[in-house]
Amino acid sequence: MLPTIIAAQRPHFQALAGAWLDGGANSFVVVFENKPIAWWPTHADPSRVTLVENLWLGRKKIGELRVDGPNSRAARAQLQAEAVLLSSLIESSNNLNSVTSQLIDTQDQLLAMYDLTQTMREDVDFNKMLYQLASETTRLVKVDAAFMMVQKTGQPWLIEESPASAFKPETIESLLALVQETGHDLLLSGEEAREQFSNFRNLLLLPIQIRSSAKAALGLVNKTGGDFLSPDIKLARAIAEHAGARIENALLYQRNLEQAKLQTEMELAQRVQLNLLPRRQPAVKGIDFWASSRPALQVGGDFYDFLQREGWPFTFTVGDISGKGLSAALLMSMTRSVIRTKAHDFPAPSPELVVGWSNEELYEDFTEVSMFATVFVGQYEANSREMLYANAGHSPVIYYPRGGQARLLEADGTAVGILPTSFSENQRIRFEPGDVLIVATDGLSEAYNTQNEMFGYDRLLELTEALADKSAQEIANDLYDTVNEFSAGKPQDDDQTVMVLKGTKH
Amino acid sequence: MELKTRQVNDVTIIEIEGRFDTHTAPPVHELLQEAILEKPAYVVVNLEAVHFIDSTALSTLVAGMKRSRQVDGDLRLCNLQQPVRMIFELTRLDRAFEIFSSEVEAIEAFQEANT
Repeated sequence: MLPTIIAAQRPHFQALAGAWLDGGANSFVVVFENKPIAWWPTHADPSRVTLVENLWLGRKKIGELRVDGPNSRAARAQLQAEAVLLSSLIESSNNLNSVTSQLIDTQDQLLAMYDLTQTMREDVDFNKMLYQLASETTRLVKVDAAFMMVQKTGQPWLIEESPASAFKPETIESLLALVQETGHDLLLSGEEAREQFSNFRNLLLLPIQIRSSAKAALGLVNKTGGDFLSPDIKLARAIAEHAGARIENALLYQRNLEQAKLQTEMELAQRVQLNLLPRRQPAVKGIDFWASSRPALQVGGDFYDFLQREGWPFTFTVGDISGKGLSAALLMSMTRSVIRTKAHDFPAPSPELVVGWSNEELYEDFTEVSMFATVFVGQYEANSREMLYANAGHSPVIYYPRGGQARLLEADGTAVGILPTSFSENQRIRFEPGDVLIVATDGLSEAYNTQNEMFGYDRLLELTEALADKSAQEIANDLYDTVNEFSAGKPQDDDQTVMVLKGTKH
Repeated sequence: MELKTRQVNDVTIIEIEGRFDTHTAPPVHELLQEAILEKPAYVVVNLEAVHFIDSTALSTLVAGMKRSRQVDGDLRLCNLQQPVRMIFELTRLDRAFEIFSSEVEAIEAFQEANT
């Protein structure tokens, strides 16, 4: 803001003041929020003044340039020009600040994503464990070679042998076939062994019982110094049972890890979403406002936002990304940022432009992932009591003019990301005291009850008329309560968002 | 919900019957993915026997339409019933899709574009 600009540009301000003083002025003063914050020469009396020009941020006066002494038309024009230039500098630096804060926002999300991928790297090395089991077997039972085989349901067999590469691929094939056709312990020795595996003196094959849906076996080949005797077989059996327990645990751990991954993804999606929603309700002249959002367990991509800027109309938006989970949450944060940046653009673009520009920017990314976002952008001008809006495929939006009939404000353009160009145009409605506008998301209208009926638009319209006398917050809460009651016993499977605007006296 | 698919020249026809919603959208999604792998990716979804459609179903159709257009094909719709047509009008998806009143017209439109 102004004091920061003066601090950073002091020599330039000094040169500006120098020019005035050289031209015969007694003083040059910069005023911010009614207080002089810089003046030249240092002994000047900042309250003495012959010329004053206002400094503006948008439509709000934030300060003055004052000069004492000169009073000619040319001097006035010069001071005016300087004030206009300085105002536009303030405006730009202000815009830069808002863009910077959005960048910081985005960076925070990226960091959260990075943390997630780091924690997911701590995976168990399943194959390494199988190898260790095989090599322990070789050492304890004293055999030339041993192998462990595991098959998780629907996946190919995993085989680890010790010593490494002890068997030729075709031997492994035959061993696999043998494991699959034999459901019980198998001991091959002498002729029988040599017939099936030319270089085997003997083979002990032990299927391993695993409770979870996986198959496993331990195989021992060529007992050192002779045949497998009863104590060898007992020892091998004990190792197999131990191996079974370890495999069981490892599989369980992997399953938990999968679940933890999913869980983390859900939580992250929810965090991304909740962090980006406004934390307060705005105070708007002529409007009683209330908005809130309830994320579903499997997060969807709902969002709402508003923009209040001195001298600009009050701008609000509600959007819904198609799809669910982390991808929807990330696209939601992107869409919200783009809309925010476009709406902040100078000077206060209308809803139609915000929607059109956002569509241009997001179209390619959305096409890449075959998703889209329904978006409603509204602007309320307190003095004229007019509401301007653009609706890109969003529903339900309900408008209730006091004493009249509630009706849906239909979209005139498709959702953002579907077509390269947006068709949405500015629509205009009067917004008088008692009028109600509800911008909700389909999580509300598409809530199901246990009979598989949908809440639907008709119930929402009736409900709006019945609730219209209440405050914005009461209307929102009653809407949620009624929908909850309707869908009692059914889990909420989509985000629900409600924004209520109600006209009030100024 | 029932799903039928057949081929008329190089156009894949998908017929959906019953509720087309969040519960029944996944098989349609899979069928569309397969159909779009065909060359050319010409798909007609016949909605004659669909009387109910929700937002998940809509996004399934949009995804199919976008994928097919990426490979110079298209996904077209025909025989929309009144309640379904209303949803398309409300969300203005009628501007995004090519919608025909009969399956024959939808198929012919593909053939004409080809000749």
